[in-house]
Amino acid sequence: MSSPEELDLGLGLLDHQLVDSEGRRCGNVDDLELEGVREGSPRVVAILVGPPVWRGRGRLGRLAAWLAPGQTVRIPWEEVEAIDSAVHLKRTSQELRLGRGDDRARRWVDWIPGS
Amino acid sequence: MKKIFQIALGILAAIGGFVDIGDLVFNVQAGAKFGYELLWVVVVGVVGIIVYSEMCGRVAAVSKRPVFDAIRERLGFGVGLGALIASEIVNLMTLAAEVGGVALVLQLLSGLPYRVLILVGIAGLAVAIWVAPFDWIERIFGYGGLALLVFAVGAVKLHPDWGSVSHGFVPHVSSSDKLVYAYFAVGLLGAAMTPYEVYFYSSGAVEEGWTPKDIGLNRANSMIGYGLGGFLSFALMITAGALFLPLGIEPELIGTVALGAQVPLGAIGLLLALVGILFAVGGAAIDTCFSGAYNLAQFFGWEWGKYRRPSGAPRFTLAWLALLGLALLVIMSGIDPVLLTEYAVIFSVVALPLTYIPILLVANDRSYMGRYVNGRLANALGLFYLVVIGLVALSAIPLMILTNQGQG
Repeated sequence: MSSPEELDLGLGLLDHQLVDSEGRRCGNVDDLELEGVREGSPRVVAILVGPPVWRGRGRLGRLAAWLAPGQTVRIPWEEVEAIDSAVHLKRTSQELRLGRGDDRARRWVDWIPGS
Repeated sequence: MKKIFQIALGILAAIGGFVDIGDLVFNVQAGAKFGYELLWVVVVGVVGIIVYSEMCGRVAAVSKRPVFDAIRERLGFGVGLGALIASEIVNLMTLAAEVGGVALVLQLLSGLPYRVLILVGIAGLAVAIWVAPFDWIERIFGYGGLALLVFAVGAVKLHPDWGSVSHGFVPHVSSSDKLVYAYFAVGLLGAAMTPYEVYFYSSGAVEEGWTPKDIGLNRANSMIGYGLGGFLSFALMITAGALFLPLGIEPELIGTVALGAQVPLGAIGLLLALVGILFAVGGAAIDTCFSGAYNLAQFFGWEWGKYRRPSGAPRFTLAWLALLGLALLVIMSGIDPVLLTEYAVIFSVVALPLTYIPILLVANDRSYMGRYVNGRLANALGLFYLVVIGLVALSAIPLMILTNQGQG
């Protein structure tokens, strides 16, 4: 980002790629959990990932949330290592319970020779 | 020296990679119907794809972000999902049409039944994707597609009236059927600026690990590669204008396209044309198949990329396998690949603004792009093309209905 103090949450964080400590892509920032909005000092406390969160993201989002299986994963803000065009996390996706769809799909792909 | 070599390789791959079944169908049919009168539209389309592919390549090199990442960020989840669905439908239609094209060419070469060759074609593509590394796929199909240069030789040998050819490069409106002329203009722009080209191009830049150092390579690749791809389009249209228009032939078969090289150059011309079409269309099938998987993975944040082993990006792998399977079902239904191509190109035109607006916005965002942000020229051209794309998107489907798909 241009200056470290300034981050546009809508454009610079929401919907961005999550990358774990091993460089694995493991979901997108589907929503943010804020605190202190009423008090006038809003603060991001967590990143929310997973189909149930899409319900708050437009009409098509509601439909997609209804169709897609999966649970919400909450990543506390303390787990964020750095933000550039992607959001880099401090731990592995297994530890954070992210990217589990890829783990499930791997069982199918492993079955094909040469995978 | 190594750098020059690398640029040359990239350009060669881009020339062969530009022409796909949409370009073949629209350029040849436009030539057969209007002679050289629509050549200028190809120029407009080629400059458009150069402008936007250069932008996406630059964004990918500087920020490591492919196109669908930018689409979700700028359009949000809801509208972005709409763009994803539209692009997946168009990708699947295009993929099925390219696979049908591969089978038709194999049929002309072997004489075996069409449906058997669809299976052969799909199996061949799947094995090529599974086994070959990314740059090999690009090169094998790109270089094979260069056999299409036979149409440039054919065009010269047919001795077209070069005066009318040069007149065709001057923008004008036809004196004859204006609506059909407009339909073909829209189709030619759509075929030249198909969105899968930028999805594939930008994801490929991330696959190959481009950095800001590769910005020169990106510019050369997009300008010279797509520019020379446009040259192939001219050759196809001029051939059709010189050969089919005087005879009143309306080429509705892939084999008729190849006649454009056979008549002036004989059997060797025919063979080169068929090989060129096979590799160009086969390569485009792989590009569209990957584009579909890239878009899904990028929208939902899955691991993706050919540089990973298939098990390293499992949902991405299942996605491209599933797309190949769906394309197989679509084309096995017996739908005519040429007709499907026309639908795919016209529908892709409607999806164009949803792809190109986010690219223009991100390429202007200094927080990612730093000093590599769009300059004045890129923005002026980018905005000009947004207007063109908007007009084309609004008129595409009405024109298709009014002209009965260019039949008049």
